[in-house]
Formats: sequence, structure tokens, C-alpha cells
Amino acid sequence: MSAFAAVIRKDLRLELRGGQSTIALLAMSMLVLVVLVFALDAARVRSADTAAGALWVAMVFSGVVGATRALSAERENGAIRGLILSPLDPAVLYAAKLAAAFIFMAVAEAGAVILMVLFFNLEFNASLIRLTPVLMLGALGFSALATLLSAATGHTRAGDMLLPILAVPMFVPALIAGVKASSAALSGAPLASMGDWLRIMVAFDVLFITAGYLLFEHVVGED
Amino acid sequence: MSAPVVETHALAKTYRQAPVLNDVNLRLLAGRGAFVIGGNGAGKSTFLRLLAGLEAPSAGRALVFGQDTRKLGSRYRRRIGMMGHQSFLYPNLTARENLEFYGALYSIADPVSVATTWLERVGLARFADTRIRAFSRGMEQRLSAARAMLAEPTLLLLDEPFAALDVEGVSTVSALIVSALERGASVLATAHAFSELQGAELEVFELSHGRFTPYPPQEEFRRGGRIRSLLGR
Repeated sequence: MSAFAAVIRKDLRLELRGGQSTIALLAMSMLVLVVLVFALDAARVRSADTAAGALWVAMVFSGVVGATRALSAERENGAIRGLILSPLDPAVLYAAKLAAAFIFMAVAEAGAVILMVLFFNLEFNASLIRLTPVLMLGALGFSALATLLSAATGHTRAGDMLLPILAVPMFVPALIAGVKASSAALSGAPLASMGDWLRIMVAFDVLFITAGYLLFEHVVGED
Repeated sequence: MSAPVVETHALAKTYRQAPVLNDVNLRLLAGRGAFVIGGNGAGKSTFLRLLAGLEAPSAGRALVFGQDTRKLGSRYRRRIGMMGHQSFLYPNLTARENLEFYGALYSIADPVSVATTWLERVGLARFADTRIRAFSRGMEQRLSAARAMLAEPTLLLLDEPFAALDVEGVSTVSALIVSALERGASVLATAHAFSELQGAELEVFELSHGRFTPYPPQEEFRRGGRIRSLLGR
């Protein structure tokens, strides 16, 4: 088994036993959606725009919680040092941690979409399939950014506080594109109308993944 | 004469203007074993972390296999095994899963059988499928030793390898260290006080006030190992 596959397998195994990241993601998603459903004007809660906005708010907040948990297993018992000392290429470690974070976030997003449909009185129809690439691109970009930033902030005293302060503003351009593309998908607009927003999301995904690939080894260490 | 495996030149480390290591010079030759002793806060762990490349020195250089420790490539990292104060093990994985995981990271051909062999060597075969979270500190220390030596490294950096071990555990880990020396590995270990390794040829020095001093004088200490000065010039 390759080192890349070994890290993903280990992360999935730990998640299946502890379920901390996925449960935290789902719990935060549910909390945000419930609050927004009751806070927003009842006449508007059926709109695709509002549902899309609520979904992405839930996704970003839960993503921050999930990212904080993602590297906590590596900090326990100093396991991250074992990884740094091993022959594993830091870029491969980043790719594996990103892949694992993406899987957790995708699973949680699936749950959040179901909650969104139920809470906002939407229908389970083809528009949800059109939403899939938007959410996958969003999860990939946020996982890439959060994996890098959690590695950078995890060994600082205020790491848990620093992560959202850094991650959310940096993700805002992709967040706006994601909300717009999601709104278009849920309202049944033609695919072409989502094109520009999807291209922006792809661009930010490439940016975040490239930055993580290049910088991870410099931020994951001790000092 | 063999090339030094570990070499430091005027190595210094300062934390927030508090010097921990100061002008440390050391050469450890291939196949040699050395013990660094010193009290709490003497800088022993810092010294090993600098050699492993986990931290950057404030001044001076640390070389391992002739390479700067801050730029150790994967082929050199593969040749280093380290036991730290922390075990580097995952509490929610079993003993076997932990060793198999590290075996995969070190590209060991058959990590399953190698893990089984090492679990037997450290006396934990009965607990192979027990999660580390349920282990005692001593059992975790034994498994940490197995993890560090899994890939048969040519340099072992052992930070208080006998901490928390019972008599049997000390004997087991001692035997592993002696075995590593016999196959030609270099061993650099730390301890609060000198721990005798029967059958091992050791070089012992003391870390005090950020510097190495000879310990004990060669003529005063001849119980288990042979003491020679390791101090650099």
C-alpha cells in the first residue's frame, strides 16, 4: 500500500471509530440551518436564494469545525512528528490529508443538503443533481484551504481561534461564487448561467490546492 | 575511520532569549552508541529534536549523514528512528494497526508480518489488537520503541527510552538497542542518569548549562560499558 493510501485509510479508520469530524460537521450544519430557518422571514424561506445562502453558511461554519478536528488526531501523542520524521513527502501528506478532509466534508454536505431540503420546503428533484458539482468544488476548495491553515495554526496556542479568522476571509470569493451557483442550480436556471461562477470556483480550488502543495511542508513543522 | 553519522558545530538553541544549548560540538561515528545524561531542562530533548530536524538551531549547524538536519531528504529520514517523550502513536488505532501504518510510510515490503515480528520482540503480541488508548504508559513506550526501530534505521535517536518501563521493559528495550548497535546502527540516547546497557559499548557525556562535559571520568566508571570521550573540539 502506498503511503498516500495508508494515510487516507488511517484517517478514515479513525473517523469511523471516533466520528468526530463528520459528527461535528453535521451537528454544526443542522444548528446553522435550524437557526436560519427560524430567523428568516417565513415568506422567503422557500426561495432557492435563501436556501443556497443558508447551505453555504452551514458549510463554511461546519467546515471550520471539521478542519479543526482534522489535524487534532495528529497532534495527540505527537503523531504529527512521526509523520514529519518519516520518509513521507510533505506534499503527499498534504494530498492525503486533503483527500480525507474532502471525503468527510462531502459526506457531511450530503446530510446538510437533505436537511436544507426538509427545512426550506424544497423538493427532492433534478436540481439537487445540478447542485452536486457546485458543492463538490466548494468542499474541495475549502478542504484544501483549511488543511493548509490548520497545519499552520494547529501548533500555536490560539490555533482554534486563528483558523476561522484566516480561513473565512480567504474563502469569501469562492463562497460568493458558490452561493450564486447553488442558487442558480436550485432555481432551475440553465447550466450556462452557472458557468462563470463554476469557473471562479475552479480557479480558487486550483489556487488553494497549489498553495497547499507548495507551502504545507513549511508550515506543518514545529517552529 | 568511519564517517561521523552525527556532527554538530557550535550548535546553540535559545527559546525566548533563554539559552538551552550553547556551543555544542559533537561527533558520533557510525556504529557507535552514546548516552547524553542531564537533569530536567538540561536541553537533552531539544538536542535530539535539533538532530531530527524537528526544530531549527538558533546558531551553529547540525549534520546527520553529512546533511543539514533542516534539509533532510526522505532517503535520509528513512534511516532515522526516533523515540520522543510522546509516542507518535494513534490512540484509537490498535498496536498492530499503528505498526502497519508506519510500516507503509517507510515502504516496508510486508508491513503485516514485520508488525507481527516487532510486537513479539517487544512482548506485546497478546495486545496486538488492543487500541493504544487502553495501554499503560510502559506498554506504549515499548510499542514506541518498536515503531522507532521498525524500518531498521541506521541512526536511533532515543529520548529517555527507559522512561515508564518496568524491569522487564527495560531489559527488552535494552536488548533492542544492543541489537541495533550490533547490526551497525548508531544510537544516541538521553536519560536523567546513566542507565547501564549490558554488553553495549557506550560513550557517555553530560549536558549541563547548555554544554557537554565528560561524564563520568573514564577511570571512575567501568561497570557495564566502556566510556570514551565524545566531545568535539
